[in-house]
Amino acid sequence: MGSISEFSKKKKDAKYYKTLTSDLAKLNSKLNFLTVVNDKISKGMPFTVKDNICVRGFEATAGSKMLNGYTPPFSATSVSRMEEKGFGFIGKATMDEFGFGSFGINTQVQAKNPFNEKYVAGGSSSGSAVATSLMKYHVAIAESTGGSISNPASFCGVVGFTPTYGLISRYGLIDYANSLDKIGIMARSADDVRETFDIVKGKDKYDTTCVDEKVTSSKRKKLVVIDQLMKGLDPQIESSFGKLLDKLEGKGYKIEHAKVDFIDKAIQAYYIISMAEASTNLAKYVGYKYGLQVPDFTKKYNEFFTTARENFGLEAKRRIVLGTFVRSASVKDKYYVKALKLRTALTNKLSELMKDGFIISPTMPIMAPKIEDAQKLSPLQNYAMDALTIPPNLSGFPHVSFPSDYVGGMPIGTQLTTSHFNDYALLDFVSEWEKSFEYKFKHNLGSI
Amino acid sequence: MEDKEFERLLKICRLSLTEKEKSAIKKEIGSILEYFDAIEKVKCDDLEPSYHPVKVAERLREDKVEACENPDALLKGTKTHRFYVIGPDV
Repeated sequence: MGSISEFSKKKKDAKYYKTLTSDLAKLNSKLNFLTVVNDKISKGMPFTVKDNICVRGFEATAGSKMLNGYTPPFSATSVSRMEEKGFGFIGKATMDEFGFGSFGINTQVQAKNPFNEKYVAGGSSSGSAVATSLMKYHVAIAESTGGSISNPASFCGVVGFTPTYGLISRYGLIDYANSLDKIGIMARSADDVRETFDIVKGKDKYDTTCVDEKVTSSKRKKLVVIDQLMKGLDPQIESSFGKLLDKLEGKGYKIEHAKVDFIDKAIQAYYIISMAEASTNLAKYVGYKYGLQVPDFTKKYNEFFTTARENFGLEAKRRIVLGTFVRSASVKDKYYVKALKLRTALTNKLSELMKDGFIISPTMPIMAPKIEDAQKLSPLQNYAMDALTIPPNLSGFPHVSFPSDYVGGMPIGTQLTTSHFNDYALLDFVSEWEKSFEYKFKHNLGSI
Repeated sequence: MEDKEFERLLKICRLSLTEKEKSAIKKEIGSILEYFDAIEKVKCDDLEPSYHPVKVAERLREDKVEACENPDALLKGTKTHRFYVIGPDV
């Protein structure tokens, strides 16, 4: 039974919420996972919201100085639907600036891993993963562009679900890349993910890319391992994954190996498309419409904008420059259009592999690194961290990361991918997994 | 990338970088673009580009006037004059 059902049967009074928010604030001062704790929450199962998703009346910075002071006058559709069903908003979760990061360190508020504070929480939905790992009764509304739900879910030992592109409305999401962004869910069980998914998904008149397709639960007994994705894994990850496959074979799954020669180029295609789209989305942050305000209107036109846009972080600036370049007239066919065609090729190939099987892989190629080590990585080393999460994200396939092992006290996640709109099948798989594998947590705030 | 091209890009992006940022990004941009160049080898030129990963139907709303729920809330946090948002001189 998921914790949502359990919570609904328990008695909660004002003291419960006061204690919970106080405990949350104390841990927050150590782990830095929330940008704000809503101490006015008085009812409902708590849910947090990634800081690039709007909640009426609460600052939404998307982890960026450029949006300091921006308080949305509306809530995202996913948030409204949660509140209408009686859930209680408890805080905004920190993240990498605009989603640009894999470790939760490209931001004003850097979250720390709840299993060991010296280690990263992952990114970009760092705060969402930490909050889920800390609270017994809680779900997180988060977002993924290239793996920002799977990655921190894996590093923080929780279930991270990214649905088929378009199933959950993006209305109220501060855009990174419109053809890649997907709102998703983090929770401590597949049952909680499913229940939350059923609340937030579905047609929305405010998002024209929101689709209203039937979600299926078509089971698969074959697990496909793409050999090219298994290169360069951390030995602990490789060993753990090998043991997992043995376990699943013992449960009746057939393990099959496949080759996709060009899958290692998915990273490049992803970054070209996402940077191109991000560079246009970030053009709206100009110092007088949202968030950060440049007070001096005597500045000349260009000078005004460049002054305001000094306040982007370095990674944001890098992506704006590269994104502008790859879609410029002289090179757009070489980079942007080519990347879009590669997306078609990848989607076709992976669809073929998933006709009668799930694709399975470790979620991340490495164990969670120390914060100080992550800070030393070059941009290309950072981008390479997304090798396993990018393929399903690029193609809009639903995928889930679930805790599958613990090594040296740190969690390891495994990622499962299925065909478009077969999202429930993933949750069925994880539910089944949870019957014989107990997740470990360091804290259980809000236990009743 | 040549300096002239880089400066032109910065102007298009309306970005100003500190000397440290300029040096960091200029140093990396060549190797990142070289990394991106690898997609040239993938045989997919005969395929249609995917602007979305799934088929998204074109949906238009009804041609009906709808009043904004709370126009004052939209303008909060910006400098305004009547119902105009104040910005820099062109």
